[in-house]
Amino acid sequence: MSENRGLIAVVVVLLVALAGMVCLGVGALIYCPQPGSACAGLFGAPSNVSQNNPSQTQPTTAPDQSQNQTQNPTQNSSTNNTAPAGNVLRLPGGSGGGGDPPTLDPANTSDVESATYIVEIFSGLVGFNKDLKIVPDLAEKWDVSNDGKTYTFTLRQDAKFHDGRPVTAQDVKYSLERAADPRTRSTVSPLYLGDIVGFMDKYTGKANEVSGVKVLDNYTVQIDIDKPISYFLAALAHPTSYIVDKFNVESGEQPWYLKPNGTGPFKLIQWDQGQQIVLEKNADYYGDIKPSVDRIEFLLGGGSAMTRYENGDLDATRVSIADIERVSDPASPLNKELSIDPQLSTSFIVFNTRKAPFDDPKVRMAFAMSIDRQKLNDVVFKKMPVVATGILPQAFPGFNQDLKGIPFDPEGAKKLLAESKYASGLPDIVWSTVGGGGTAGSDVQAIAEMLKENLGANISVEQTDWATYLSQINGTNVDFQLFDIGWSADYVDPHNFIGLLFRGGSLNNWSGYDNPVVNQLIDDASVEPNLDKRIQEYQQAEEKILQDAPVLPLTYGRDFWLTKPYVKGAFYPPLVIERLKYITLDK
Amino acid sequence: MSARFIRLFFARGQALRAPSFMLAYIVRRLLWLPVLLILISLITFALGIYGPGDPVQVMMGLHARPDIIAQVRKEYGLDQPFPVQYWNYMTNALHGNFGYSLVKYQGQRVSDLIAKRLPVTLQLNLVSVCWSLPLAIALGIFAALKRKSWLDVFLRGMVILAVSIPVIGLQPVLTFLFSRKHEIGPMTLGPFLPVGGWGGIFSPQVILPAFILGLGVLAVFTRQTRAAMIEVLNADYVRTARAKGLKEWMVLGRHALRNALIPLVTLIGFVLAGMFAGSFIIESFYGIPGVGQLAYDALISKEYYIIMAFTLMIAVVYVLMNLLIDILYVFVDPRIRYK
Repeated sequence: MSENRGLIAVVVVLLVALAGMVCLGVGALIYCPQPGSACAGLFGAPSNVSQNNPSQTQPTTAPDQSQNQTQNPTQNSSTNNTAPAGNVLRLPGGSGGGGDPPTLDPANTSDVESATYIVEIFSGLVGFNKDLKIVPDLAEKWDVSNDGKTYTFTLRQDAKFHDGRPVTAQDVKYSLERAADPRTRSTVSPLYLGDIVGFMDKYTGKANEVSGVKVLDNYTVQIDIDKPISYFLAALAHPTSYIVDKFNVESGEQPWYLKPNGTGPFKLIQWDQGQQIVLEKNADYYGDIKPSVDRIEFLLGGGSAMTRYENGDLDATRVSIADIERVSDPASPLNKELSIDPQLSTSFIVFNTRKAPFDDPKVRMAFAMSIDRQKLNDVVFKKMPVVATGILPQAFPGFNQDLKGIPFDPEGAKKLLAESKYASGLPDIVWSTVGGGGTAGSDVQAIAEMLKENLGANISVEQTDWATYLSQINGTNVDFQLFDIGWSADYVDPHNFIGLLFRGGSLNNWSGYDNPVVNQLIDDASVEPNLDKRIQEYQQAEEKILQDAPVLPLTYGRDFWLTKPYVKGAFYPPLVIERLKYITLDK
Repeated sequence: MSARFIRLFFARGQALRAPSFMLAYIVRRLLWLPVLLILISLITFALGIYGPGDPVQVMMGLHARPDIIAQVRKEYGLDQPFPVQYWNYMTNALHGNFGYSLVKYQGQRVSDLIAKRLPVTLQLNLVSVCWSLPLAIALGIFAALKRKSWLDVFLRGMVILAVSIPVIGLQPVLTFLFSRKHEIGPMTLGPFLPVGGWGGIFSPQVILPAFILGLGVLAVFTRQTRAAMIEVLNADYVRTARAKGLKEWMVLGRHALRNALIPLVTLIGFVLAGMFAGSFIIESFYGIPGVGQLAYDALISKEYYIIMAFTLMIAVVYVLMNLLIDILYVFVDPRIRYK
C-alpha cells in the first residue's frame, strides 16, 4: 500500500503540472498563432515588426518633400524584413561585447558600442578609409586657408538621407550647432569641436548660433577655427560631427534616435532592445564603394557568442580570454579563421608622483623594474596583448621601434631602492583598482605579489566601482597612490597619448608628472607643422618620460576575432570606422 | 532563513485567526505602504546623490573636463540641491514619469525600459517555477512517503547537489553538452538546444536557463515539502483519517497534503516576489533581454532614476506579496473559517 501512495501522489501532481502547461500552450497558440503578430511581445520580444520608417515621422512641410517623393518613391517601404536568404551577415553586438548601444545620436557618441552603429548609419563631411587616412565623405573636397584657420567644404550633390532628402549645407550647420546646443547635453562635442569659433559660446548658452559655421550656398559651408590645429579634420571624422536630419531629430519620437534617418551605407530597420539590431543596405548610398550585404543582424544579448559562432549561428565573434588557448593552437581548425589586430591602446600602472613614496623617481623605477611583465603577459593575460616597450602603441604613427622598455631587473631595483630616500623602509602602499568581486583581478594580484617578493613592498589592494573610480581620478588632483588604467586613442596623433597624459597640468595627467623639459617638447610638438619633426619631438618626450617612470606601460592591446571563411573583406580596425560596406558574402 | 520565516508567519497567522481583525489588519498594513515608500525613496535618492560617482562623469569616462561636466549636470538639473531634486523626482513619479536614462540608454524613458524587459524576466522565472515547483512537491511527497529508504536518501543527496552547484560552473557544462556539436568518431551529435537570446516561453532557448534557474527552487521546495509531509503524516488526524477507513489518496490529498502546503505558501510568495528582482546572472549568460542587464547597467553607471524605479517597484511588490501571503495563509489553513 505504501508503495502506491507515493506513486499516486507523484502521478497526480505531474498530471496537474502537465495539464497546466498544455493549457498555457494551447492558450498561447490561439492567442498568438504567428511569432510576428502583435502579441509577440507577450511571449518574447517582437521579432518581425519593423520599427523604422523615418519618413512617416517627418512633417509634410519638409522643404524637399516633393523631391523626396519623386526621386525616391520606393525607398521608404522597408517594412518587409524578410531577408533574401544567403546575403545576411550575423555579427555580435557592437564591438563584440554585445549589449544595447547607449545611444545612436551622433552628437552624444562617447563610446565604442554606439559608434560602431553610428558610423554605418550616418556620415560626416570627411571620414577614414581602411588605412585610417582622412578621405572625402559628404564633402567632395575642401580648401584650407593659408593660416590654417578656415576650412571651406564643398558638399556632394548626390548625397541623400535614407528618406531621400538631399543633404545640404544647412544640414551641416544644423548638425554642428545641434552638437553645441546645451540641450543636446553632449559630453563629447566640446572635445572634438570646441575649436570651432563660437562653439563654446553656444555650448555654455552665451550665443544662439555657432558663428564659425557659415553657409555660403546650398552646397558650400565654411568653418572657422580658433587656432590652426592639425587634427581638425580628424575631429570632423568623429561621429560627434556627423550630419543628422533636422526633421528626424525634431520628430517628437522619444528619443528620436530609435528611428534614425541617416546618410550612411546602412539603415537601421529594427532594434529589439537586448535582442538584436538589424541594419539593411542603403541601395541609394552615394559613396564609391557600395554596400554589398543586404542585411546585417547584430545579436545584442551577448551570452555564449563563441558557441554560437562554432554552431554557425554567428559569422564572426570576438575571442575572449577563456577561449584564447584553444583558438591559438595551430592544430585547431579555428586557427585559420583567427585574425589578430593591434589596438591603439596601452595599459598602465600609474605611480602618483604627488604621494609618498612615489615622489622619488628612484622608487618609481625600482617598482617598474620589479615587475616581470613578460611573465605576467604569458601567464595571466595568456599572450593576448603584447608587452609594452613605450607609451605609444604599435601601429600608431610615432611608435618608436628602438625603445627597449623598462627591463625586469629585481637586483637593480633593490639597488635603486637602497639609493632612494625611502631606503630605510617603504610606507604601506594601497593599490586602487576597478572591481567589485571578493578578490581583485589576477593581474593585480600577480603584480602585487611580484612587488612584495622583489622589493618587500607591503601592498594592499582596494577595489572600487567604475563610477567611483572615475570620480577619484577626474581632474588634476588624484588621490590614489598606485593604480592601473588603460588608455585608447581617440584620434591618431601622438598628442592623444603623450600630450594628454604627461603634459604638466593636463587633466588626464593622473601621475601628476610635471617635467619642464617634457612640457616644452610637448608644447613645441603640438604646433609643429612638419609631421616628421613633430613625431621626433614626441618621441624625445616619450623617452624622457620613460626614464622618470611616472607610469609603467604594461601592455599594448590586441583584438582577436574569428571570421567565417565565406565572409570576405572583413577587417577589425583599431578605430571605429565605416567597415561593413567592404564586406561581401561568398556562401 | 526559511525555517525562521515560517515560524514567524505561523505566529502571525495565529494572531489573524479572529476574522474581525482581518480587514482592519489589511487596511493598517496598506496604510503603511506610502510611508514605507517615502522612506525607501528618500534613502535611495540620498545614496544616489551623495554617494561617490556621478552619471555625467561616467558618460565622459576618462575625458573628464570639469567645465563640461558642470555644464551638462546643469542641463540635467543635477546641480540642484537635494530637496529640490527629490521633490521634482517624486512629483514627476506621481504623474507616472519615472525620469529618463542618463548614461546607458540615453534619453529613453525609465518606465519604457522596465516595461520592455520586465515581462521577459517574469516569463523566464515563471517557466522555471512551472517545472520545478510541481516536481519539487511531488518529489517531496515521494521522499516523505519513502522515508529512510534508499530512494529518499538518493533524492536528498540530489537535492543537496542541486543547491550546491554554482551557476557559473553549471552553465558552461550544460552549454557544452547540449549546445555544441559533438564529433564522436564518425558520428556528429547535436547541437540539441540553441543557446542564447530570447524567443518566448515556448522556444527551445528557454530550456537551459529555465532549468538552471529552477534548480534552486526545486531543491528548497523538495526539502520543505518532505519535512512538512513527514510532520503531517505523523499527526493524529491523519491516523484518525486512516483509522476511519478513508482511501489512501483521500488521506493524502485531503488531509495530509493540504496541511503540508501551509508552510510552503510563505515560501512561494517569496519566490514570486524574488522574480521582480531579476535573475541577472542567468540572463547575462544566455543573453536574455530581461531586467537583469538593466539593473546592472544602472548600478555601475549611477543611473539614479533607474535605480529608484527598481527599488520602489521591488519594495511595492514585496510589501504586497507579504500581505498577500498573510491573507492567503488564513485561507489555506483549514482551521480558519469566515462566518
